[in-house]
Amino acid sequence: MSHRLYNEAHMKRNTFYLLAGIVGLALVGIFWLSVEIRDPLLITVAFIAGVILLYGLRYRITDRIEDERTILISQKSAMRTIEVFWVLFFAISLGGAVIGLGAPGFSRPPHRPPDEGLIPLGHLGITQMALLCLMIFLYVGFKMYYARQYGEWDTDEEQD
Amino acid sequence: MKNRIKVFRAMHDLTQENLANALGVTRQTILAIEKGKYDPSLELAFKIAWYFKVPLEEVFLYEGEVPGS
Repeated sequence: MSHRLYNEAHMKRNTFYLLAGIVGLALVGIFWLSVEIRDPLLITVAFIAGVILLYGLRYRITDRIEDERTILISQKSAMRTIEVFWVLFFAISLGGAVIGLGAPGFSRPPHRPPDEGLIPLGHLGITQMALLCLMIFLYVGFKMYYARQYGEWDTDEEQD
Repeated sequence: MKNRIKVFRAMHDLTQENLANALGVTRQTILAIEKGKYDPSLELAFKIAWYFKVPLEEVFLYEGEVPGS
């Protein structure tokens, strides 16, 4: 019985992508709901739950999608993404730290009131989120580059 | 690195899909190796050679420079 249930829980790669899309759309909805009711915990918990769900579902894909070549592509893409991304993220975060340390809570003698022109700390969260989105695009870009380099989209006479 | 996987596949009447399934890799990986786009790990190279029951150097041909020569 349990073995049957286990087999039924397995899925094709396209089913996984479809479910990932549904989870993504649900998260967008939850994000807006979170904004409406001003509850940041809702989207935080939902996002973590969504990612755990997708990681769990990934192991139930029956088509072989990963081997040493695909792992190499992912590793190289991740390494290049981090190489580029950390510089941007660190630079922006340093700016945030300067604003944070300049705020009244971190007053240093003599206390200086915050400048009018300074970006509010909340905006830094949005900037960092935008940077994280950029990181995803960066990763996808590198992944496409290396996938092409290692013949991911090559075809031959045996291609369907 | 050149290889003769395609030749051995033809000799054993195997498709890329058959070979990939037997070796536990994707068909695209076999295609990438055959086209010289990807050099397999030593482990996979041995698996391929063992699958065809031939020595490694009969399947893979290293054409780089030999150090110290």
